[in-house]
Amino acid sequence: MKNQIKIIAGHFLKTTIRSKALVAIYIVWLLLVVYAAFTGYKTYTTQNALRLQFQQQARQSWEANPDKHPHRMAHFGTFAFRIKHPLSVFDYGMESYTGNAVYLEAHKQNTVNFSEAGFSTGLLRFGEISPAMLIQMLLPLILFFLGFNTVAQQRENGTLKILLSQGAGFRSIIWGNSLGLFTLSVLFLLPVALATVFLLYLQPLLPADGLVSLRSIYLLLICLAYLWLVSTVAICISASSNSGRAALLKLLGIWLVMAVVLPKTLQSIGSALHPAPGKIEFDTAVEEDILKIGNSHNPNDPHFKRLRDSVLKANGVDSVSQLPFNYGGFQMREGERLSAEVYNNHLQQLYNLYEKQNNISNYSAFIDPLIGIKNISMALSGTDFKAYRYFQDNAEAYRYFLAQTMNELQMEHISNVKPAHDDKPQIIGREHWREFPDFKYTHQSLISIAQQQQLTIMALLVWFFLSFALIYFIAETAKAL
Amino acid sequence: MYRLAFKNFIRSKSVIIAITIFLLTGIISIIIGRQFLEKQQAAANAVTALQKEQINRNVHHIQDQFGLLMYYLRFAFINKPDPIASLAIGQQDVNASIQYLTIRGLEGQRYDTDLFNPYNQLTGNLDLSFVILFLLPLLIIAFNFNLLSQETEHGTWSLVSIQINKPIKYILFKLSIRLIVVLVLLSVLLTLAVFIIGLPLDEKLLAYTIIAILYVVFWFAVSFLIIVLRRSSAISALLLLSTWVLICLLVPAVINNFLTVRYPVQEAYSTFIKQRDGYHTRWDKSTDSTMQAFFKHYPQYSHYVWNSPKFNYMWYYAMQQLGDDESAAESEAMQQKLALRQQSASIAALFFPPMHAQLEFTDIAGTGLRQQLQFLDSTAVFHETTKLHFYPGIFGDSTVVGEDWSRHVPKYFRRSGAVNWASLVAPFVLFSLVLGTGGVYIFNRNGIK
Repeated sequence: MKNQIKIIAGHFLKTTIRSKALVAIYIVWLLLVVYAAFTGYKTYTTQNALRLQFQQQARQSWEANPDKHPHRMAHFGTFAFRIKHPLSVFDYGMESYTGNAVYLEAHKQNTVNFSEAGFSTGLLRFGEISPAMLIQMLLPLILFFLGFNTVAQQRENGTLKILLSQGAGFRSIIWGNSLGLFTLSVLFLLPVALATVFLLYLQPLLPADGLVSLRSIYLLLICLAYLWLVSTVAICISASSNSGRAALLKLLGIWLVMAVVLPKTLQSIGSALHPAPGKIEFDTAVEEDILKIGNSHNPNDPHFKRLRDSVLKANGVDSVSQLPFNYGGFQMREGERLSAEVYNNHLQQLYNLYEKQNNISNYSAFIDPLIGIKNISMALSGTDFKAYRYFQDNAEAYRYFLAQTMNELQMEHISNVKPAHDDKPQIIGREHWREFPDFKYTHQSLISIAQQQQLTIMALLVWFFLSFALIYFIAETAKAL
Repeated sequence: MYRLAFKNFIRSKSVIIAITIFLLTGIISIIIGRQFLEKQQAAANAVTALQKEQINRNVHHIQDQFGLLMYYLRFAFINKPDPIASLAIGQQDVNASIQYLTIRGLEGQRYDTDLFNPYNQLTGNLDLSFVILFLLPLLIIAFNFNLLSQETEHGTWSLVSIQINKPIKYILFKLSIRLIVVLVLLSVLLTLAVFIIGLPLDEKLLAYTIIAILYVVFWFAVSFLIIVLRRSSAISALLLLSTWVLICLLVPAVINNFLTVRYPVQEAYSTFIKQRDGYHTRWDKSTDSTMQAFFKHYPQYSHYVWNSPKFNYMWYYAMQQLGDDESAAESEAMQQKLALRQQSASIAALFFPPMHAQLEFTDIAGTGLRQQLQFLDSTAVFHETTKLHFYPGIFGDSTVVGEDWSRHVPKYFRRSGAVNWASLVAPFVLFSLVLGTGGVYIFNRNGIK
């Protein structure tokens, strides 16, 4: 049987590669791959260079501050710029829709601004062309074009009967053609893989925690599994259809549903089922809860009055001026802690809502493998929602760290007694600014990505094994006529 | 004959399934559009309530310092979507349609985005414009791809061609039946939209409808051209679908990639940093230099006393103003770059009807980049007016109760721009004419086989 499979696969390849259509398709494919890789690389290098440059600029102006009151520095704040993962040249994922820069200051959590989508014309709605998109969306269509006729045509013109009577089993025919088509798909994958490796090679410095090579290998394996699935589906549909035309229509239908209709519809249903608040509603709710706690800038606020009384009591003194630390800094540290807690709780709730919206898509990987492939490819390329959240969480953690460090500097170095008009003002040395570490961009570990994508990985494994079951099933039920 | 042919067409099971799926998706899209409008309305109501509540609370708490009060107060400027925006949501879910601003520096506030789930953005909204742009052509392709080849393949074509003297008329006749069905479907959806969403019957709806109709005609012209090439059903389906993939998926994406690479918007980042530095470094400079720079911008306030011994809010707002002044050039450059992107997209769209349709849809609905830029411009005007209204109160340390706070309710953005019919219609008409004539020419040249 092995031999038969080899012969059939070889035959399929020989006839397909000879056709003029394939040459034309392959040339168009190469052009698209080169274009996608080039624009992806260009965006990656320009944007990362810009963001690193502005991150440095922000740091320079932070360090350039003269001696001053630490709370002024807390308000001066700094910025966090999101750096693209090197593999974003392969899969742009959600990069265009997520914000790229956030202003980090005391008391206030700002939105991550300047997403590419905010700068885009309505054309972005048509999507972007990335190497990943070409493999996930376009390549299946090409494989369907190349594969629909295989068995169905042989059935139509009667050669299938001859083939079967010569001893080739249906299973060998399907296996052989699937392998043939799969080999062809690898020929299409090759330029994408080469282009990606080349572009990664061009980058002078790959981040060590980006784990680029390991991620690339996983991406490659996943692409191969996906293309195998697509190839078997094409051949099995062809084998179970009465005519080439019927096979083609069925395959096109499958493609439309899987690639165009389902991803969008399911996500729309998800967000319709779990409506999320807009910014105003969100801010209102946060403010309401923060007001319940109290205002740390207001000395007569009941919550902070109680706090003061207990601090005075604990230190055995009867006025703040006798405290061994600056009370203003202490109060603001407390205020920052409470407001950050409230804000993060609300943000967590919001993100839980988003997760619920996305879960419909995540679970649908079991009915639409393309959605699963997309999710895992984005995750490995560091361009999915989780990667964005990781950045946002880190930026918020840094903001909090900045605000609290400044509050602690105030507690430590600033006197509780306001200086007289011509006394030395309440300031601390500028060396403190340089001592405070810069924001450092990091990438998620592969283990957390694997944990986040558990469901998808499972779905894809199921699909992979289903492809073999499908061959077996079709071979059993298919008829020669 | 019309009735028979119509019955013959509509009786097919696959046609009925296709129509049902299409209608269902259309209805879902209309409901999603309504949800979008409701969400926008809810946000407008929320900000109106919030602004009132915040003004009342702060005015009550801070009665003695006008300058401090104005540090907290925020004023809403709302880009209330036209009802028709529900049929073409465009970029309106990415761009914040409410600006809720303090009178402090503008540049640090006006680019704040709304909160949204990026996964939703990635898959995009399922609005009616998507259904029309992407799914309707597929329906048309499914109706038309075997219009002639089926007759050939079933052997009925020779019968037909000897019974009628102008075979092309027969093809057009069959096409017209399908065109009528598609147009009826389209009008069903639009009528449903009018009722479900409560759209006013105005020029915008008319323009929307006309784009949709012309777009349908364009796809019929494409189908016609492919049909008369007289390929087999399978090849025709392939050719039509490839055309769809090319002009609905690949070309717009290729152009979008180009715009992203060609016009990177680094000015956004520099505006961001310059604004912060422009304001904050003022704390370390002499009050006098700050005030002189401020008076240079606003000489009308130079008679106010700013060097009194107690903390002076005039100085504080002057510092804020200088943050804006120093980032003004960058901000302007950023908007110009965005306008460039918009222009290039519009020009490219003239050659590709799906892109043209998309940009025109969002233009009519006011949900495109052009209107967003207008909104950002108007936001600056709104901020300036509000700020200048309060400056004398702050600088003169007026009493808080002296201000009529009840009149500070959210203001609404009015967008300008009438429908430009010529540029809207022309590309569709031209394309349809060229494709149609091309089809007739090819058919006549090939003769009746």
